[in-house]
Amino acid sequence: MTISAERPTDVVASISAPPPSAASSWTQRPGWLSQHLGTAIVGAVLGYVLGHWFGNFVSSSYPYIANSGQNAIADALGLSVGVLGWLLGIGALNYPLAKMIGREGGEEPAVEGWSKYFRYSLDHKTVGMQYIVGVLLFMFTGGLLAMAIRTELLNPTTHVFSPDTYIKIVSEHGTIMMMMATSIIVGPLGNYLVPLMIGARRMAFPRIEAFSFWIFVAGYMVIFSALPFGGFPTGWTGYAPLQTQAGPGMVSYLLGFAVIGLGMMAAGFNIAVTIINYRAPGMTWSRLPIFVWSILATAALLTLATPVLFAGGLFGLLDKTIQTSFYVTEHGGSSYLWQNLFWFFGHPEVYIMALPGFGIVGEIMPVFTRKPLFAYKVAAAGMIGVALLSFFVWQHHLFQSGINPDMRPLFMLTTELISIPTGFIFLVGMGTLYKAKIRYEVPMLFCMALFFNFLIGGVTGVFLSDVPVNVTVHGGFFVLSHFHYTIMGGLLFAFMAGLYFWLPKMTGRMMNSRIGKWHFWTMFIFFNLTFFPMFVIGLLGQPRRVFTYASNLQGLNDFSSVSAFLLGISFLIFFANLMWSMFISPVKAPANPWDSLGLEWQTANPVPPYNFERIPVIMTDPYRYSEPGAPAFADMGDGLTQSSSTTSSDQA
Amino acid sequence: MTETFDKSRGPSETPEEREFELRAQIGSIWSGGRLFIGMYTFLLASLVFSYFYLRSSNNGMEWRPHNQHAPLYYGWSIYLLTVAAALLAIYGQRRLRKGDVADFQVAGWTGVVCGLVALFLQIWEFQKLSFYPGASGYSSTFIGFAVMNIMSLVIGTYWLETTLARSLRLRRELGGDKPELSMAATAQEFRAGVASMAYFWGFLAIGGALLTAMFYVM
Repeated sequence: MTISAERPTDVVASISAPPPSAASSWTQRPGWLSQHLGTAIVGAVLGYVLGHWFGNFVSSSYPYIANSGQNAIADALGLSVGVLGWLLGIGALNYPLAKMIGREGGEEPAVEGWSKYFRYSLDHKTVGMQYIVGVLLFMFTGGLLAMAIRTELLNPTTHVFSPDTYIKIVSEHGTIMMMMATSIIVGPLGNYLVPLMIGARRMAFPRIEAFSFWIFVAGYMVIFSALPFGGFPTGWTGYAPLQTQAGPGMVSYLLGFAVIGLGMMAAGFNIAVTIINYRAPGMTWSRLPIFVWSILATAALLTLATPVLFAGGLFGLLDKTIQTSFYVTEHGGSSYLWQNLFWFFGHPEVYIMALPGFGIVGEIMPVFTRKPLFAYKVAAAGMIGVALLSFFVWQHHLFQSGINPDMRPLFMLTTELISIPTGFIFLVGMGTLYKAKIRYEVPMLFCMALFFNFLIGGVTGVFLSDVPVNVTVHGGFFVLSHFHYTIMGGLLFAFMAGLYFWLPKMTGRMMNSRIGKWHFWTMFIFFNLTFFPMFVIGLLGQPRRVFTYASNLQGLNDFSSVSAFLLGISFLIFFANLMWSMFISPVKAPANPWDSLGLEWQTANPVPPYNFERIPVIMTDPYRYSEPGAPAFADMGDGLTQSSSTTSSDQA
Repeated sequence: MTETFDKSRGPSETPEEREFELRAQIGSIWSGGRLFIGMYTFLLASLVFSYFYLRSSNNGMEWRPHNQHAPLYYGWSIYLLTVAAALLAIYGQRRLRKGDVADFQVAGWTGVVCGLVALFLQIWEFQKLSFYPGASGYSSTFIGFAVMNIMSLVIGTYWLETTLARSLRLRRELGGDKPELSMAATAQEFRAGVASMAYFWGFLAIGGALLTAMFYVM
């Protein structure tokens, strides 16, 4: 079967061939004189200086600025123009500017070698690899700040940091980690794998995809710039009125959120449109890989929830700069308004982080159990259900503030309801494991750990949705432990599973299995030893974001801190494995090392620039493992490569 | 699998594959345009929520002291210009769909002028306000509205202008002066983009009615 069997050809004759590519401008040519990371940095620095100077020029005479010694307008303009300079320097604005005189961008010239990773690339695979480095950098920075937090908490009376510095470290850690986590799977694995999994040769809007990455990096730098500006004391939630009273670091927080929000919207928009329109012939909705379902649900959340965060950040910036009073109660605003806007985004964000993790384990487990994914349609429906319900639960974050008490039961109910589709997804995993002959490879170990961790995180989440429990443990370490179990125990373990599983495809090199198992066991054990005691610490009354605590809790805190340091070492093992396997002692990966039926494994290795020699035609469901006589998943169109449902490991 | 791609020129495509890609591209422009409107709806809904939240809270009786109002004639002028630009974009798109490129261009450029004048008035209105940004809940949300409206007008006018600029370069593919529908791939893609742009302007006009009523009339 070829593509013509699925597509009518009667109109083909009326379609002319695509126009020849427009001549690429000098900015797109390979070589160090063109646009790349270096020119982006220069653009950002020049933009910041110019914007800051201009902000001072136009506003320094205003009394409220002259008397305060702070000029938030100059700070905001400096950072905004810096971001613009960054985008201009990397080449993100070439196309929008050329469009104003009617020019369309042509195909990008192929840039070979390492330098393509430092450029504005339109290849989704390059963008995926750029994202991997970007999120690992985020994670490393946020992880160092976590180590600083746990160091401070070693002793309740002897302090390393002042209380002011401590809360700023906590705030920066939370913000960096949450922003990193929103993109940790959608960015690297979503961008790299979705076109391959749906049989597409490209993304729908590759420029928007590249924009999403480079503005994500700019957002990271803006959020990080809060530290030299003195930090911000609000935690990652940025609550007013503290937000309004805080110093210039708060501008970095608000603008950073808005900038990263733009990147999230762009990423979600592009991926959603790609999945809707670029599925290969025969890939009906019921044949979509479960990972793609999860990314689609996530993309819907990214595109619809993030504009609210953007608006909230914009209002906060207006409060900080031109002195509006959105969040100033004394002047007709309301600090609760921020809470509402923030959590309308913030709770779907939790599922922006969780859903792709479920998608990864749903994709990987059939490979290592050699069984079809149990109740595939229930899993897909569960993901859509979670995405829809996530818009109706945000008020549970306001149980203690800013909510009519009569409304609490309603939001308690919606929050408990969301555990039902989440439970479906969990049961799909358990059903897949049931009576399976499991291959305990490193990716599978991480998948199984996710279920263990998420069970604890999920059950404590159900407790927290109940108003009486919520009121009792609010603002304490119990909540902190709960969300670390769901986000780190769920998302980060899934990310690791995905990296170990797909890096051979992405890089052509196998990760070392022995070191990988060391990494897994140390990460799993010390993650639990770090965060489980925090449930107890929280129930015994230790509040979050406070640098001291009751002396009788020191033993548990010390245990947690030492475990956290060892958890940090487990990440060093991962980095060591990455360096060893990719650069020091690389081992060439087989074409399909796990015997997966996934479409992404059926194309050449390394993946060609346009992914597939012929657009494949999908023949059947994606998970027909160990099913004798099942048809091949896809007709690759070249007469050579077909995936079979019974692979070598099944025969073995 | 053998490597058959010419990396400098892209994949070799069969006519069926080219047809598939074209349909996917047109579908992407169509669904992308609607999804963008969905995103924008949530952005504007944040403003509407803020308006009614602060209005109903009326903290310190400071929602709207001294009966503050933004200048009504500016508000109506900006809104009518937005509606005019939207109608012209939609009219132009319909003419283009019938193959009349010249009508599309005349209507479109007039729409660009309307959009730019509306943009100018929206910025100039800051000079004419009788209240400070932080004077009340109303004044704050009004400033938020003005900033978002500037953003909307910039996006809409940019989108309209870029399609017009493109139409000048695509004159031959679009069929020149001949009033017939070109089936060239670039023409089909272009028309899909114009339709999305016209939908966005229609959305701005409808959403603008609600926002204008909220901030200038109520």
